[in-house]
Amino acid sequence: MNKLIYIGIGLFILLLVFFIPKYINGDATALSNSKISSDIEKIEVYHFHATNQCYSCKTVGNYAEETINTYFSDELKSGKLVFGHINGELPENKALVDKYEAKGASLLIGTYYKDGNFTKEENVQVWYKISNKDDYMGYLKDVIEQKFSGN
Amino acid sequence: MTLMSFMEAMSTSSFPLIAAFFIGLMTALSPCPLATNITAIAYISKKIGDGKKTLLTGVVYTLGRMFTYVLLASLIVYIGLNVQAISLFLQKYGERILGPLLIIMSLIMLNIIKLPSLKSGDKINRLKEKLSEKGYFGSFLLGVIFALAFCPFSAVLFFGMLIPLALKYSDGILIPSVFSLATGLPVIIFAFILTFSVSKLGKIMNKVQTFEKYMRYAIAIIFLIVGAYYTWRIWI
Repeated sequence: MNKLIYIGIGLFILLLVFFIPKYINGDATALSNSKISSDIEKIEVYHFHATNQCYSCKTVGNYAEETINTYFSDELKSGKLVFGHINGELPENKALVDKYEAKGASLLIGTYYKDGNFTKEENVQVWYKISNKDDYMGYLKDVIEQKFSGN
Repeated sequence: MTLMSFMEAMSTSSFPLIAAFFIGLMTALSPCPLATNITAIAYISKKIGDGKKTLLTGVVYTLGRMFTYVLLASLIVYIGLNVQAISLFLQKYGERILGPLLIIMSLIMLNIIKLPSLKSGDKINRLKEKLSEKGYFGSFLLGVIFALAFCPFSAVLFFGMLIPLALKYSDGILIPSVFSLATGLPVIIFAFILTFSVSKLGKIMNKVQTFEKYMRYAIAIIFLIVGAYYTWRIWI
């Protein structure tokens, strides 16, 4: 058994040696599918969740709602910005879950361009900020503002 | 700089292996893996008599986690399985199976449920006994199963951060391996601490065997509590 473990460790080191050059050469293909356009039609911010929500899941959603109500109330009224808590387990939300490819509890931002294009992006960084509300709200405000400016 | 912003900065590091490691550490600290890791530490430390064995069992548990994570990442990166489908499936069923499974395990450890005894005649059974005796096979299996129990936050970290990283670099092996190592690190560290402290205590008391018996009951109770917690959270 000990031998197996040493073999395992040996294999792991071999893997390291094999894969590391890939990163150093930087031949990764970026997944960037963001299209820069100054003509933004609409932005959607959705908090996807399950019926039974974990503490962090609720916090991510509540802070997002508060950010939008605080900083984007005009855009919300004019329909330029849409926000919603979406229970992914309800059948009526299936289309939205599929459209955003929500993989569970998540905060997703969708951008509609006037030329008909649509891009979506999951924001995972908000999860690191739930212990600091100001930090969370300031960060999400910047993200949404950037989306509106077309970046 | 707070701990969280440090973790965030490291998890989004431009060097993928560092990012993978810190996403793993964050996972180890998130509620579900924390609960399963505590259970694993309890299980691993049941044979505290032999320090080196305890440490190796911790490593084997981590290898079990690695098996699951590498398998999932490879299926996605190399075979192109749908991330959304796997993620939703595991979040739906992984957690559901975990609770009842832990309860059954605790009942076996408490001898309330008795496993049919195996005839130790043939070689396969003898090997099986040897493996389970040492606890390696059990802790490997524990790692494999525990890694499948995704909760919302650990799913965000794995499917929302680690998998995109693995896809970006077309690497379904090393990135998830480094991630797994970090998720099992607390268990290895605790096994290490136990190795040097509790085993000495047991030897000083010269009552290792009695100690082990009580440890086994204590561990069974931990399994029962964690199992009941998951079952209550998901089913009720």
